[in-house]
Amino acid sequence: MGNKVTDELVSTVRSIIGFDYSDMDIIRALHMANNDVTAAINIVFDTPSFRTKDKSQVLRNPEVSNRNSNSETQSKDTKSRPNGNETKNLSLGSGSSSNPRTRTRTVSNNDVEAIKDLSKCSSSIGGEWWFVGCVEVSGLSTCKGRRLKCGDEVNFTFPLKNASSTPSPGKFGGGRGRQAAAFSEIVRFSTKECGEIGRIPNEWSRCLLPLVRDKKVRIEGCCKSAPDTLGIMDTIVLSVSVHINSSMFCKNHHTSLKATSNSTDESVVHPLPTLFRLLGLTPYKKAEFTPGDLYTRKRPLNSEDSSGVHSSLLHGNKFKNPTLNGSKVENEESISDGDLENIVGVGDSFELEEMEPPSTLQCELRSYQKQALHWMIHLEKGQGMDEAATTLHPCWEAIVLQTSMWMFIMWRELVVYLNSFSGDATMEFPSTLQMARGGILADAMGLGKTIMTIALLLAHSERGGSSSSPSMNEAFTENSDTSDISDQSPTLPKKVAKFPGFDKLVKRKNLLIGGGNLIVCPMTLLGQWKAEIETHAQPGSLSLYVHYGQSRPKDAKILAQSDVVLTTYGVLSSEFSTENAEENGGLYSVRWFRVVLDEAHTIKSSKSQISMAAAALTADRRWCLTGTPIQNNLEDIYSLLRFLRVEPWGNWAWWNKLIQKPFEEGDERGLKLVQSILRPIMLRRTKFSTDREGRPILILPPADVQVIYCELTEAEKDFYEALFRRSKVKFDQFVEQGRVLHNYASILELLLRLRQCCDHPFLVMSRGDTQEFSDLNKLAKRFLKGGQEVVEGEANDVPSRAYIQEVVQELRKGEQGECPICLEAFEDAVLTPCAHRLCQECLLASWRTPTSSLCPVCRKSVSRQDLITVPTDSRFQIDVEKNWVESSKVAALLLELENLRSSGSKSIVFSQWTAFLDLLQIPLSRSKIPFVRLDGTLNLQQREKVIKQFSEESDILVLLMSLKAGGVGINLTSASNAFVLDPWWNPAVEEQAVMRIHRIGQTKSVMIKRFIVKGTVEERMEAVQARKQRLISGALTDQEVRTARIEELKMLFT
Amino acid sequence: MANSNLPRRIIKETQRLLSEPAPGISASPSEDNMRYFNVMILGPSQSPYEGGVFKLELFLPEEYPMAAPKVRFLTKIYHPNIDKLGRICLDILKDKWSPALQIRTVLLSIQALLSAPNPDDPLSENIAKHWKSNEAEAVETAKEWTRLYASGA
Repeated sequence: MGNKVTDELVSTVRSIIGFDYSDMDIIRALHMANNDVTAAINIVFDTPSFRTKDKSQVLRNPEVSNRNSNSETQSKDTKSRPNGNETKNLSLGSGSSSNPRTRTRTVSNNDVEAIKDLSKCSSSIGGEWWFVGCVEVSGLSTCKGRRLKCGDEVNFTFPLKNASSTPSPGKFGGGRGRQAAAFSEIVRFSTKECGEIGRIPNEWSRCLLPLVRDKKVRIEGCCKSAPDTLGIMDTIVLSVSVHINSSMFCKNHHTSLKATSNSTDESVVHPLPTLFRLLGLTPYKKAEFTPGDLYTRKRPLNSEDSSGVHSSLLHGNKFKNPTLNGSKVENEESISDGDLENIVGVGDSFELEEMEPPSTLQCELRSYQKQALHWMIHLEKGQGMDEAATTLHPCWEAIVLQTSMWMFIMWRELVVYLNSFSGDATMEFPSTLQMARGGILADAMGLGKTIMTIALLLAHSERGGSSSSPSMNEAFTENSDTSDISDQSPTLPKKVAKFPGFDKLVKRKNLLIGGGNLIVCPMTLLGQWKAEIETHAQPGSLSLYVHYGQSRPKDAKILAQSDVVLTTYGVLSSEFSTENAEENGGLYSVRWFRVVLDEAHTIKSSKSQISMAAAALTADRRWCLTGTPIQNNLEDIYSLLRFLRVEPWGNWAWWNKLIQKPFEEGDERGLKLVQSILRPIMLRRTKFSTDREGRPILILPPADVQVIYCELTEAEKDFYEALFRRSKVKFDQFVEQGRVLHNYASILELLLRLRQCCDHPFLVMSRGDTQEFSDLNKLAKRFLKGGQEVVEGEANDVPSRAYIQEVVQELRKGEQGECPICLEAFEDAVLTPCAHRLCQECLLASWRTPTSSLCPVCRKSVSRQDLITVPTDSRFQIDVEKNWVESSKVAALLLELENLRSSGSKSIVFSQWTAFLDLLQIPLSRSKIPFVRLDGTLNLQQREKVIKQFSEESDILVLLMSLKAGGVGINLTSASNAFVLDPWWNPAVEEQAVMRIHRIGQTKSVMIKRFIVKGTVEERMEAVQARKQRLISGALTDQEVRTARIEELKMLFT
Repeated sequence: MANSNLPRRIIKETQRLLSEPAPGISASPSEDNMRYFNVMILGPSQSPYEGGVFKLELFLPEEYPMAAPKVRFLTKIYHPNIDKLGRICLDILKDKWSPALQIRTVLLSIQALLSAPNPDDPLSENIAKHWKSNEAEAVETAKEWTRLYASGA
């Protein structure tokens, strides 16, 4: 071999084929054909891409010419070893025209014209036709008596597009309608002489139809063998050669392909991969993760095999979990809090290695936190950027097309990549760079996700796009998801025509400036993040910038300067909405090194603006921090995966088909799949997680929870009994009238009084400031008099006499209205001088200044001193200060506090009623126990001051705190005792309060004491506490709930 | 689903709006965001807006009820206190907001504003001028717009 191609041979060939072909073409062809002139001519003609026109096209497409240069070297290699590849190529090439008679025939002028026609048609599409293979197809004869000779050329006719309203995926069985639909996808073939001869098999038509219609594929065929005289249903063996248009691999063509191939359901069969399979082209590099894998999983699971699933798959590599056998998971129907653990599992994290945080982190990490750091670094690293750039994305497969295409190369190996999920094809190498680099840190509340994240920031921070070649990154990391997102929302599954492919013609992401870390959190946590970073990161190690507020700069450079940019979901969302334009600024003009979503469940509704906004960010690394990765629905996970770019699950169709639907239908395989997806990318530990030795990962000092049962004194008992009897009479009336739920507020009010009575009878009677108005007539007088006192002479400021009488009448009758702000029954109601009733906390919360403001109802100026605590219709009036008597509960509390006094151990005293806190101040002052007080009336600064005082001043032993003061996240670990004086309907509120002392940072053992008065409503409340929660928050619709609520109320009045 | 943290007050208000709607006003929360309401107000009788059905959107911000709801006309309307983007010049939506006000009261106030345009506190300068210089003509335009843009359908 290696024969020299002589000029003589070239001119011989040229004399036959004319000047449409370059010398190079001819030389190549001759070379291939071993200087056999006839064979070379045939090669030239058989291969449509051997055409002069190609030259310009090659040059026009830089992307492709780049490829070309690669392959040129490849082909040179081939030349040096002509025996190897080339022969192989030839054998494939000859398959395209296996019949020698065809070859000779092709050298006729007619056929040259035919080829020219083809070239015309191809140039109109703008790509080139690449021959990809030739196979035998067994067609079926549809005619009788016609003749077809071996080697006869056949023409294919494809049904028109509009005829195929519903391409049926299926067989010919079924009814008439079905058949009609099926007709539309039949591809027939004919010859010039005889007309229609037969049709090709369905599997071929189905994959060819959409491709041919889109002018992506062209086929030619000739008869290979056929019976001498055709009869209906006779087999005709055709030799079909397939050409693919190069535009297939360059342009985004999903839409059109989808439109034809799946109008009825979310088809997961894609024509191109199918065609390749039919052509016998097998991927040389298979996708690690294919739809097939998933379907195999759909086979019945071997449920006996349940043991050890979790441990064996704990570190399941990437997505490759070949067997997903079922460990039984209960309660799949709905996802309650408890089911969360079932779905996402709690990681047996002890398998993880630990990693020492960098020295710039100025605090000690616990062992499980070091594990998290190692895990996060590991996930971010992936296989390393370089390796990632050269490793095939697991959803894609590579196929070598032995194709003749460029005029410069005779046969080249063309590598194309197919996405086995979306059916997308491309020539660009789809690398793992596209995959998620990051994950979900889902440790339960209180384990220190923030500090772990700060450790990560310190351990590794660069600028976005800096760690790998920009071209790679730019092309791969981002895709056109954002534009597709709206179509993928769960409610519009039918519209999912577009799939988020790795579209190369996306906005020009290389214009983005490389930035540092972006942390997105709820507005309320902005300050906390800032404070935590400032305290835990060594000064100077991280520059921090808070991107928030109206005047925030939109200049990307400023954002990119800082190592850490803090912002809120609100800002993110607003910058996203203004982002439509190409030249957007702000957060979207930066390519972030890392994006961290704190409380990532914020983006859980996938069609919400904020969810789309988050998914649209450009970043190399992505993290979700959330204690509750699933709040309501499995779907919540979808949003996170979309943000994280965990393919193919960021694609709603796939998610819905393989996970959501099976899950909703109770097929546990959906759940299994989710678990296998999440396992490698999610870390979740709870307070109960244990380490290697079985010790809890977070060793908090023990918490001792006790209930102190108090006995009422005789006097208290009499009072309580009297109140109870009176309340019960009212309640029974409501029951008799069947109007329990209509008088719900009144009943709660009755209960409220009883509960308060358990704390201290004074609460029910009256308090110091109301004493002079305890007589309602006096109250009325005071109002009227108060009006006269107004110096400004705004006579109309005075509430009218009639109105006051009405109010007083209401109070006298004990009618219970509702607070105009919270719309609930009054709690700690106060009267304004303008005679409007409101909850004290609601009123004060509406004020901008703590001492005076406007009445929310009538906008008259009110000062705090003017507020009158609403008197009840009680007959008892006492000056609490002078006649101070300890209730049994207060006595029990004081005893506890006295015992603790010598140890210097600090305590928090919780009550729901600020009035009770008022009362408690009396004995505390008398016993000289130093205390501070925190309630809802304090503003942020005052609050911080109180907390600081309590934490830092060692002589202050007690913090009086109202449960409503809320403020989740307040750290009060300087206290080690908590006293919960009254039970709250919702035990979670109590627990949350207690959590403020029993959390990271607590060094001493914790004592929690709840006070319950025996034989009272408090005790019965405990019994219904859990059910009560539903009662309080439930809607008024369901009849069952109503009955249950009445029952519960009855329980309380026994 | 996404509304598990909705304050009780909003739930209560919504229930009441649905169970006892104010005459001529309908407000229903969006399914996916319970803080977002689709509102329809019928043009008050004996006003230029009579016979019109006006669509509005109403959104309860995070701070609600301590901050006012955000309300906007979606239907084009010719009114001196409403601009072409549908924004409404109404004191209770701004500095005069009070937490004792509710969605219902806000919508009633807007309905009242339709009955009593106030060209002295305009949001739309041109319309206000028109109103002051030639009220009859302005009212005609308002009627015309009502016919054109707010005639139900």
